[in-house]
Amino acid sequence: MKLLAAALLFASVATTATALPDLPEGKWWKRPRIAAEINLTPDQESRIESIFSRARPTLIDLKANLEKKQGELQDALDDANADRRAVAGRVEAVENARAELQKARVMMVLDMKQVLKPEQWDRLVRMHQEFRRERLGRFLERRRPPGQRPR
Amino acid sequence: MKLGNEISADHLTDDELSALAVPPTGAPEPLPAHLSACLTCSRLLAEWKSALFALGGEDQEVIAHRPAEDWRAAEDATLAAIRRAGAPGRGRARTLKWALPAAAALLLFGLLIGERRAAAPVAFDDTAGLSAEDRADDALLRDVDRLASGQEAGSGWSALAPDPATVEPAPAGEKRS
Repeated sequence: MKLLAAALLFASVATTATALPDLPEGKWWKRPRIAAEINLTPDQESRIESIFSRARPTLIDLKANLEKKQGELQDALDDANADRRAVAGRVEAVENARAELQKARVMMVLDMKQVLKPEQWDRLVRMHQEFRRERLGRFLERRRPPGQRPR
Repeated sequence: MKLGNEISADHLTDDELSALAVPPTGAPEPLPAHLSACLTCSRLLAEWKSALFALGGEDQEVIAHRPAEDWRAAEDATLAAIRRAGAPGRGRARTLKWALPAAAALLLFGLLIGERRAAAPVAFDDTAGLSAEDRADDALLRDVDRLASGQEAGSGWSALAPDPATVEPAPAGEKRS
């Protein structure tokens, strides 16, 4: 009994360490099949679109800033005379810019999540996981030699 | 197109993208020059890498969503199966020592498989019905996702390290700071 309890406990502890929820990619609320699958109402779609519209300028700016910092880091790495401190500073700048972008993104998604009912959100996340799993399956299938692929 | 540094006008095939995302040898493949010039291929590669990157946590997420009733049912079923096998004698006790966790593991596996079969995948990448503006927004969001999570194509130290074939050896005695 102790062993059984230990096995179950291990499984549950190992799985509660899930980080940020798996966020859907792209403009998912505009895709009819997804909207139908989670029963997204026109009002919810409109509110989610508004949240995105408000966040868009910030996302564009922060994305551009991150890409700029990445370019500066690349320049420093390409420069044979760049010193370690300069490179370290630019790495830090890249990661700070990335964190800012991530923060803006997560806040936007959090606002979107508030618009959905919990079951709608759960369904959306599950669908995304299934899609990724299915995509990975197709992908790994491609790695097999042609003769070994199922017809 | 071959993997390597030759420039090609052709887009990467699925097999090539596959080999880049999951190198068959286990070691990273050199990135084709085409990738740095082609947004489409670079995006496709990033998507495959993203799928692989996220795969690690998926099973855990599935288990985490199991309701408490399922756990109790799994435990009850295991114990019932053990009881049906009869009262444990001395030899049987030794067998149960490994049979208990094995049965629990099998049940957990069964629950996972059942979960996977229950939900049919829905296409998340279907952008066919989107307007041009929505498609641009869609691309922006995907780029933001990748950049923010550090999964963009060409990211990481392997991409930052210069290609040894294109770097001239440093002159002897060059001062390193």
